[in-house]
Amino acid sequence: MSDPELLARYNYDSFVPAKFEPWMRFDASPPLGTVAPDFPLWPLEGGESSLSTVWSAHTYTIVEFGSFT
Amino acid sequence: MNELAARYAERGVGAIFLYTHEAHPGEHYPHLTSLEQKLRHATALRDLLGVTRPILLDALDGTCHRAYGSMPNMTWIFTRSGVPIYKSDWSDASSVENAIQYFLDVSDRRRARERLAPFRVERLDYRNQDREAFFKGLERSGPKAVQEFRDAFGG
Repeated sequence: MSDPELLARYNYDSFVPAKFEPWMRFDASPPLGTVAPDFPLWPLEGGESSLSTVWSAHTYTIVEFGSFT
Repeated sequence: MNELAARYAERGVGAIFLYTHEAHPGEHYPHLTSLEQKLRHATALRDLLGVTRPILLDALDGTCHRAYGSMPNMTWIFTRSGVPIYKSDWSDASSVENAIQYFLDVSDRRRARERLAPFRVERLDYRNQDREAFFKGLERSGPKAVQEFRDAFGG
């Protein structure tokens, strides 16, 4: 697990520009056309998975990132 | 997005929802401080908002989300070999369906032994702005979320 300061900054407690804008870095996201980075993920039903497990299961996989709010 | 996923499931297209952080923390759904809380919020996403796609949680520090640009509601499409072929800084079902139809057509053309080479393209897509629905979503999080959005962007 990462450091508490990063956890607090990423999980910001208020939607104010100083807190959310630094995270919006779509321009620096991985490029199309080359293999993307893989990360562990945790299914809602339990257990552990990974992004590569997800994308390797189908010809194409749509991944929507988001939250309740 | 749920309907889109169901519509293309039989054609080799998978779809998931990757749970990140609370973009608009409020009194009812505050910022995340534990994986247990993140699990509760993701369960609410499934049970209250009706997300029918598999929901997978990112690490509490957003390791995956941060590596992919940290936008609050973005969509990516990957090939089976892990190559992203579409990325959008906002999730819009029409835009995603347009892309999926194109890529399924590419698959058909490859099966027909067409010789295809990839190239890069940029374009702007357009989405409906349903402010009423958006603010209803903020209200679910709580009055704090509504006020902070108004303070940041007006409306």
